[in-house]
Amino acid sequence: MSQPGKRYRVNLFRPKKGHMRDEVLIILAILFGWGVCTFGFQVLVYLSRGTGAGSILTRLTLFNLPLHFWFTGQLLPLWFIVLCVAFNLYIDRITEYHSRRRDRSYE
Amino acid sequence: MNDSSWSIFVVLCVFLCFILVGLRQKSRESLEYGFGGRYTGRIGGGAAIASNWMSAASLMGLAGIIYLRGYQGLAYVIGWTGGYVLLLVLLATQIRRFGKFTAPEFVGERYGSPVARLVAAVISIAISVIYCVAQFKGIGMIFSFMFDIDYEQGVMFGALAVVSYIVLSGMLGVPRNQQLQYLVISVSFIIPLMWLARKLGYFWLLPQFGYGRAITDLSRQFSIDFALPFANGTLFEWCALCFTLMVGTAGLPHVLSRFYTVPNLRDARWSVVWGLFFIALIYWSAPAFAVFGRLLEARHGALLPEAAARGMADIIVLKTAVLAGVPGWLIGVLAAGALSAAFFTVAGLLMTGAASISHDIYYSIVNPTASESARMQVAKGGTLVLAVVVMLLALDPPGLIAEITAVAFALAGNTIFPLFLLGIWWGRANRYGAIAGMLTGILCTFAHPLFGGALPRVAALFPVTSSALCGAPLVVCVMIAVSLLTPAPPAEMGRFLEEEVHGHLD
Repeated sequence: MSQPGKRYRVNLFRPKKGHMRDEVLIILAILFGWGVCTFGFQVLVYLSRGTGAGSILTRLTLFNLPLHFWFTGQLLPLWFIVLCVAFNLYIDRITEYHSRRRDRSYE
Repeated sequence: MNDSSWSIFVVLCVFLCFILVGLRQKSRESLEYGFGGRYTGRIGGGAAIASNWMSAASLMGLAGIIYLRGYQGLAYVIGWTGGYVLLLVLLATQIRRFGKFTAPEFVGERYGSPVARLVAAVISIAISVIYCVAQFKGIGMIFSFMFDIDYEQGVMFGALAVVSYIVLSGMLGVPRNQQLQYLVISVSFIIPLMWLARKLGYFWLLPQFGYGRAITDLSRQFSIDFALPFANGTLFEWCALCFTLMVGTAGLPHVLSRFYTVPNLRDARWSVVWGLFFIALIYWSAPAFAVFGRLLEARHGALLPEAAARGMADIIVLKTAVLAGVPGWLIGVLAAGALSAAFFTVAGLLMTGAASISHDIYYSIVNPTASESARMQVAKGGTLVLAVVVMLLALDPPGLIAEITAVAFALAGNTIFPLFLLGIWWGRANRYGAIAGMLTGILCTFAHPLFGGALPRVAALFPVTSSALCGAPLVVCVMIAVSLLTPAPPAEMGRFLEEEVHGHLD
């Protein structure tokens, strides 16, 4: 905990060893999945307008919906739920791991 | 009974039900029955998060904006669900470990500055007022629809009804049963949708998927390409709006405080997942109302010109039901769901806004020796004053429900979100950075109306509903720069952040 000399100062990009580092890793991974699917997909739809790939995205249907509309309107909210579940499962695991390492009862 | 008397009757029944169930729950709780008590598990916690979230914006505004702008409107669906991911991974557990439940309290404690706390309180109240204006517009439109009166009269009667509801439930001491609220709101939204899909001949068991065929029919029979991407706006506008709503969700004061009603951290995290699922159920359904609305208009040969469509977009959910010949009682159910969502949101926001006036401004700054009863009086007076302010603003609403709500999100995303983010994740952030950041955030939010005329580039970069894509990163940079140029925060705060907020398992 408190060490002599320079103290650790909280920083998202320089996490402490142990629980915080594991936590920051999963946070950055989830944020990557969140950003790429949300904004990356829109950029893809925008850039591929008028091309063959673009017509696949907008003409192909899934559940009777055009693929891009289905992806944005229905899959993305589901994807967010999946991301949250993945985050919680991982955090549950690392919390248990670090609690056991500390020999402290789980929260 | 004609259609509108049916809807008034159903709405009254639903509200009576809420009060009766609340009173029953109260008497049970006082007998220590346990059932219906405060803690209802992860699923119950999720339903509470969802019912707290549902408002006129979700039940009326969302379908309205999608009806009007097609694919561009989906940015609202994504923004209002994706924000929960940010909230869960970046803030939820850390803020809970920090132990401060409202934005002004957190700011006051973390940055150790009464000025920063005052600015945060004013911002929170402003967010509540803007958010409530959108709700009042929804309430006014439903009232004018049900009683067949002018919109202005609808807003005034609606305001009277909301204040009477707050006073009545306050006098009776009715606790809010949020699980029941969520059930009523979701059922009253989805059952009429199923009826609508069935009547129009689409797959009605899951109308969330069934409306796909209606999009195809719109394009084949009437040459309306409802799903065409970026037809009503640019990629930048879509992304800016979506990002703004996401960071706004993560910074909205009444959303953040939901994490403290679940007793342990693990359940709090999991209840967010359930909450997001319950919210998504409604958001998967809202586009269906928009598509069916367009289709019915096209079939009746009554496609409205842009201005007229904009005027009635916010009530498209009810208009679609009327156009399809949905029975009066079912329209009443639909109206009751939307109205109760708006009512509970307004009641919650007005009361927390008033509590903030009483606690963060009056008690903390104006009169620290004020007695409990004096603070209570200020809170009660504050509720009324806020209600009147909101009503006056709502008489001439500046935009659609979803758009007005988006401004509240932009303000939250430009001010509260960066404050929480750096407050939790960067130990060096100090009070000067916080104050500079909040002021920059306010400027960014209102840059479009303030400087848009003189500086068109600013207007393009900070659209009024979507200013946080450029605003939030700018505020973060300002906070970092000012914090680095000024003295570091006290060592005790650094230690607290390291040991309690981020070091609980070291």
